[in-house]
Amino acid sequence: MEKLTVKGLLVFSFAGACALLTFYLGVFRGETRVYPHLFYIPIILAGVWYRKKAIYVALFLSGVYILVTHYSLTHLSVDVFERSTILIVVAYIIGLVSEKRAQVEAEIVRERDKFQKILSTISEIIFIIDRDFKVLELSKPQLRAGIEMEDGIPRRYRRIPPSQLIERKEVIGKTCYKGFWGKEKICSDCPVPSVFENGKGVRKMGSFVLADGTMMYLDVEYVPVFDEKGNVVQVIGDMRDITEQKRMEEMVRSAEEQLRETRDYLDDIIKSSADAIVVVDMEGIVRSWNKGAEAYMGYTADEVIGRSNKMFFPDPDEAERIMERVLKEGELKNYRTIVLRKDKRPVHISVSAALLKNKNGMPLGTVRVSRDITKEVELERKIKEERDNLNLIFESMPDGVYIVSKDYNVEFMNKVLIDEFGDRVGNICYEVFHGREEPCPLCKNTEVMNRKTVRWEWHSRRKNKTYDLIETPLKNINGTLSKLTIFRDISERKRMEEELRETCKRLAELDKMKLDFLSVAYHEMRSPLAPIIGYASLLEPKLPDKERRYICNIEKCARDLEEMINRMLELARIDGKKVQLTFEELSIPEVVQKVVKKLKPAAEAKNQILSTLIPELTIQADEQKLLAIFTNLISNAIRYTPEGGRIDIMVEERGEDIRGCVADSGPGIPAEHLPKIFERFYMADTSMTRKSGGFGLGLSIVKEYVRLHGGRVWATSEPGKGSKFFFTLPKEK
Amino acid sequence: MKKRILIVEDAPYMREMLVEMLEQEKGSYEVVGFAVNGKEAVEKYKELKPDLVTMDLVMEVMDGIQAIGEIKKYDQNALILVVSALGTPEYRDAAMRAGADGYLWKPFTVKNLTDVLTKLLEHHET
Repeated sequence: MEKLTVKGLLVFSFAGACALLTFYLGVFRGETRVYPHLFYIPIILAGVWYRKKAIYVALFLSGVYILVTHYSLTHLSVDVFERSTILIVVAYIIGLVSEKRAQVEAEIVRERDKFQKILSTISEIIFIIDRDFKVLELSKPQLRAGIEMEDGIPRRYRRIPPSQLIERKEVIGKTCYKGFWGKEKICSDCPVPSVFENGKGVRKMGSFVLADGTMMYLDVEYVPVFDEKGNVVQVIGDMRDITEQKRMEEMVRSAEEQLRETRDYLDDIIKSSADAIVVVDMEGIVRSWNKGAEAYMGYTADEVIGRSNKMFFPDPDEAERIMERVLKEGELKNYRTIVLRKDKRPVHISVSAALLKNKNGMPLGTVRVSRDITKEVELERKIKEERDNLNLIFESMPDGVYIVSKDYNVEFMNKVLIDEFGDRVGNICYEVFHGREEPCPLCKNTEVMNRKTVRWEWHSRRKNKTYDLIETPLKNINGTLSKLTIFRDISERKRMEEELRETCKRLAELDKMKLDFLSVAYHEMRSPLAPIIGYASLLEPKLPDKERRYICNIEKCARDLEEMINRMLELARIDGKKVQLTFEELSIPEVVQKVVKKLKPAAEAKNQILSTLIPELTIQADEQKLLAIFTNLISNAIRYTPEGGRIDIMVEERGEDIRGCVADSGPGIPAEHLPKIFERFYMADTSMTRKSGGFGLGLSIVKEYVRLHGGRVWATSEPGKGSKFFFTLPKEK
Repeated sequence: MKKRILIVEDAPYMREMLVEMLEQEKGSYEVVGFAVNGKEAVEKYKELKPDLVTMDLVMEVMDGIQAIGEIKKYDQNALILVVSALGTPEYRDAAMRAGADGYLWKPFTVKNLTDVLTKLLEHHET
């Protein structure tokens, strides 16, 4: 039973009113003409609202009409029935039309609901826009910024409160720009107009930065909807949140990138590796061959890929052996073997190999990295040779070689030491050699461990031998230090040194004795000269001229002899360190004048010119010695310069020194003799001895006196032109 | 007045030579005695009291240096001339320290001797 609605009441009231009006007019006023066209009002209303039920209203009203007419009026005319029938027919038709329309509408509503339901179940947000940009449909509530909702809460953009969400009813009928974006004009980047214009779908990606800084990506597809004429009437927007997809894509992309980089990197490594990287399958067939392998094997990849790796090994079983070991151990590390290059030259290699397996763990082959170690092998051979040589040297060395560890463990003794002390390798040195319980007090191990080299002498009381020990740190291959000791038996040398010392002592004594003896001897030699000269001087005035000359000659010779003895005596005293200097301030011109005055007669006797060039200089020196220096040099010059020659005496100041020079115009001294002329009893020309006399002691005395003063003496000469004798003396003591 | 001289010298020919040399200066010197060693020299000096002693250094029994010391101990004014073949500064210093007044280094001529004596005596008198 349908509820009584406003519409029902209205229809009911109109129908009742029409019935009452008919009753009133027919019964009480007796009018035959009622107005059945008024009946159409409720019939039409009922027809519109209640569709086929309008027939009941029509029947009711027709009944009322017929009854009123029958009871109030004269007779029932055909006219009455006709009108009633028209009423019913109208009601029926209206009801029918109305029914049909209602059915269509219901169908539309059903379809729309279905559509709505479908839209709301798909994850995308669908919206429909017509030519005026009016939103016709929105499948789900949406953020104002166009971001999808989930259970009424913005999925990501949480800053926006739910009231800010755009509900479907809010936008339906509004323009999209107003509804979604709150704008008055169409968005500048809107793709919808182009879809209307071109009739082609457009896909637009949008991205948003969310409050948390992450990106949100949207993929919106705008699809045209055509009418039957082919015009675009609507655009359907299909909006998808592809953030997750994007993120996945990004991840995949970056993973791919990384993978690619890694692969490229590995490729680069493999390609550019100096090491050979070779893949060999289970049958021993070469499957991969890099540049490194090409480089030292000489084969190109084309030449070997697909061929058995047996071809590389001079030993035919080696390939099998390597494969077996890799299979057994899963890998191979630094395995050394020999392979043959393309040119058949053998190469030492070090191979590391690993097993390649498929995902089920089945071995597929081996990857082998090998390195040309020919140089290393050669080096090792050399090192071994060196070591053998070294051992040989150690063994054949007359010195003892001894190596002891930081912990006093004897690590090595060479044959010499083993013969001397017994083989103690592997023992603790202080225990086996010295019977101690702790390191010897003299032990240098600590110092050597501090990387110091120590040299010392050790006397073995037991062996009565003295050793010169050189102890030095020895770096072991593992980085630890040991102490290397070289024992040199210096007992013999020690004895010899002792003897030498004794000899030296004796020699020194002898020398002293000699000097003492010489002093006495020279005095004794002088003694006979006393009566010779004395008697000669007594005799001289008593003799006639001729005899007097003889005695004068005797006296002169005796004086020469005396002079010679004096010089020898002086040298002996210098050697005996008995000569001491008495320093005083001296005027050089005065000293020189004294000497010149004394020697002038001798020079004049030989017609020689004695020239001096002496500035006013003073010096702190021993007068007697300075006189002797000048006297010896000048008298030498006079003696060796021939008749009519020239002798120049010059003195000058040279910084802190006084430099004296005595130059003569004598025969000169050959260069080879120059360095030796200051030596005792050395004479440049023995042939001159007789002519010039003297023993060459004068220059020795000059040298010694100059040396005592701290000066230097030397000579230059040009044979044939003359000689120059120089000396320097410090001005101050 | 002749100067009285004591000659201390172990070599006979040297003694003779000295006498001869002194006689060359006629009337100046008179050799009053001889001694052949230091000990004798000291004794002779005490006995003869000469004006001057010529003293050899190298002698037996007692050497010249010792003798000089002894004589000077006995007579501080004694005038002693050393006449010796030893002439190095060490000996000279030793003799001078012992009290010698002059030093004549052998060998020497008549003139050498008389010059030294003259100088010595003059110096001594002043």
